Amino acid sequence: MEQSTAKRRGFNFKQTLKNILRSESISLVLAFVVIVAVFSILNKNYFTSRNLISVLTSASLTGLITVGEALLLIGNHMDLSVGSTAAFSGVMAALLLQQGLPAGVTILTVVAAGAVLGAVIAFCVTQLKMSSFIATVAMQSIMRGFAFIISNGEGVLITNSTFLKMGNFKFFGLSFLTFPIFFMLLVFVLFGIILKRTRFGREIYIVGGNPVAARLAGISIKFTTYMLFIIMNVLTAIGGMILAARMNTGQPQACVGLEFDGITAAILGGVSNQGGVGSIFGAFLGLAILQGFNNGLIMLNVQSFWQNVAKGALLLLALTFDYIRQKNRQKAK
Amino acid sequence: MSEYLRFEKICMEFPGVKALDDMSFGVNKGEIVAFLGENGAGKSTLLKILNGDYRHTSGKIFIDDKEVEFHSPNEAIKAGISVIYQERQLAPYLSVAENIFMGNPITRGGFINFKELNARAQAIIDEFGLPIRPETPVRRISVAYQQMVEIMKAYNRKADIICFDEPTAPLTDAEITILFNIIRKLKSEGKAIIYVSHRMKEIFELTDRVVVFKDGKLMGVKETSQTSEPELIKMMVGRDIGDVFNTLPRNDKIGDVVLELNNVSTEYVHDINLQVRAGEIVGFSGLAGAGRTETARAIFGADPLTAGSMTLEGKPYHPKSPRQAMDAGVALCPEDRKLEGLSLILTVRENTSQAILGDLCRMGFVNFHKEREFTAQSIKDFNVKTPSMEQKVINLSGGNQQKVVLARWMAMNPKLIIFDEPTKGIDVGAKSEIYHMICEAAKRGVAVIMISSELTEVIGISDRILVMKDGYITADIPRAEATEPKILSYAMLDKKKNQEEVAG
Repeated sequence: MEQSTAKRRGFNFKQTLKNILRSESISLVLAFVVIVAVFSILNKNYFTSRNLISVLTSASLTGLITVGEALLLIGNHMDLSVGSTAAFSGVMAALLLQQGLPAGVTILTVVAAGAVLGAVIAFCVTQLKMSSFIATVAMQSIMRGFAFIISNGEGVLITNSTFLKMGNFKFFGLSFLTFPIFFMLLVFVLFGIILKRTRFGREIYIVGGNPVAARLAGISIKFTTYMLFIIMNVLTAIGGMILAARMNTGQPQACVGLEFDGITAAILGGVSNQGGVGSIFGAFLGLAILQGFNNGLIMLNVQSFWQNVAKGALLLLALTFDYIRQKNRQKAK
Repeated sequence: MSEYLRFEKICMEFPGVKALDDMSFGVNKGEIVAFLGENGAGKSTLLKILNGDYRHTSGKIFIDDKEVEFHSPNEAIKAGISVIYQERQLAPYLSVAENIFMGNPITRGGFINFKELNARAQAIIDEFGLPIRPETPVRRISVAYQQMVEIMKAYNRKADIICFDEPTAPLTDAEITILFNIIRKLKSEGKAIIYVSHRMKEIFELTDRVVVFKDGKLMGVKETSQTSEPELIKMMVGRDIGDVFNTLPRNDKIGDVVLELNNVSTEYVHDINLQVRAGEIVGFSGLAGAGRTETARAIFGADPLTAGSMTLEGKPYHPKSPRQAMDAGVALCPEDRKLEGLSLILTVRENTSQAILGDLCRMGFVNFHKEREFTAQSIKDFNVKTPSMEQKVINLSGGNQQKVVLARWMAMNPKLIIFDEPTKGIDVGAKSEIYHMICEAAKRGVAVIMISSELTEVIGISDRILVMKDGYITADIPRAEATEPKILSYAMLDKKKNQEEVAG
């Protein structure tokens, strides 16, 4: 009897070790370390605190999008309109401020607009039964168009100093804890907890993993889908305003391809594009890899066209890993 | 070794289930062989092995004394095998001719030669003697003719082995006559034909030999002319788990009416009247597609009622969604637990706690301590065999997956619980455990509806058996009077006329 328990414990220990080695987070951390090491060797200025701040700042907007897309992907959806929506939100905020609205009212109005937009997409997906892919491609064109229409195609200057704090406020005067960086980290932690620890989070997994079972288990797929798109578009609206505050202008042509970066980061981080699988922590690691890689290419003065090629290749690589993981899940025994 | 198509010692194992066990038999050219067996007996699995959809675990297949092995449906088609499924695999917006020549269109210089295509299609249609035109889009012709197009497609591919998987289910009597003439024509041309059907009448009318399946085993091969309906039914139902039912913890205290349906109709079922009492197990019997699952879906709020009313414990009960049904105390263990019941990629813990997650939450946050405690208790109570509660459900055997579903629903203390095919694809040992759990539920005063295609199971467990056919309830039989032939006759025999009178 004793022997058998000991044996089982030994087996468990080995299994645990195996699980750690096989765990996706570890391999992602390793990939990140390798990327940092390679670029540090290639360029002395890569592994410096100044560059870290620049990476974190440029990641601040992509990070918000990554969280939203990760949640959507786990729920078996995606939103391809966020780049346009972010630009629209920045322009809208800038115009409202020009009309003399106070910063607080402006921010709330733009956030509300984002929520409405998310609800519209969710309506198309749940009631009109469109695929989220098509519905959000349409929305991408619409929102980009409106961004140009309301701004007459030109950047709108922002002078409201309270609003500009969204871009440059430093917590405790620390230059690596600006508002954009702080807010991104806060969103990661907040949604990490929501996804893992709340009933709503659990229901996202169930809806994304098997919608038929979810419905027969009494979960409202409609509610979950509405919430997912509203969260995505509220985060986008805030992200767009933060970017506008950083740039002092609302630019209608900003953020092209933003959704692409968010989706790439999430899938790199182990979120499945088939729904039901993934974590916010993984998505964070995916974001770190993507941003570390992008920044490295910039530091090496790689032509920006090649950066596009590299980003696309990274997404293909991420999807390939996702496919391999799926196959492993199916035959896992 | 003389038969054209031969199966030798075919075994097929899915995780936890032996779907086929040591199957050996053959089919001659110019012969029609029927596959007969209850749902889940292994007929479809064997067809799927033959057409390259599944790979068998062991055993050999010979065609014309040469061993063959198919890795994909395409290879099987090339080897001259065509399987005609109930769900037709046609392109609805393409013409009859284009569908017949699907995969090998007649081209000239890379372009499809429509004139030649239509002429050749017309020739085949004439050969079959059908009144359809090659230019008509397939979606415009009736279901029966669509099936004919499917057959002509197989014929045009020069298939030597043609399998029909329950082809007559959607057809009217006149259409069946046309189909049978065509099958006989194929037979006279020397094709080897496999015919899967539940319908005894057709088997005796059409086939030369009958292969009887039960629980993945071959029960025997009979010359159709030298057997009888009762003999085949006896072979089909077999007798090997009878003892299981004698030791079940039966409930003898039947309480008040819990659920009542009055003249309920939905899109799929008609004029359903029934009562289920507390502590009572009501079995639903009938063939696949008879409307049993659809009745359950109506009770569970998954399909809207078109007429009639329901009451639960005497109060009006009209659930608009499964959520409302659950809140009223009704639970459903769906038929296909992998597709409808479980989230396979989630863990045992996440699946078990799903129905009562609300109770395990405080202000929306899951209390993990409580959740683990609850899951551990459930694993113990329902004897789920899993290495840990963090195991993904996809890795459990069928029986243990079903126990997870059961544990989940029993946790919400339902007033009424519906089991749809609770032992489908589960091995005998786990089956008897699940029977115990169902009876335990009844003993606790839960009203139970059990849908099952296994007659031994329905008779062994239910206090009362409702038989359904074509969307109507055709019989209400107390256990004491239930016999397998009696149930089968209500489930299979044509009583269309009687029902039309009732409905009209």
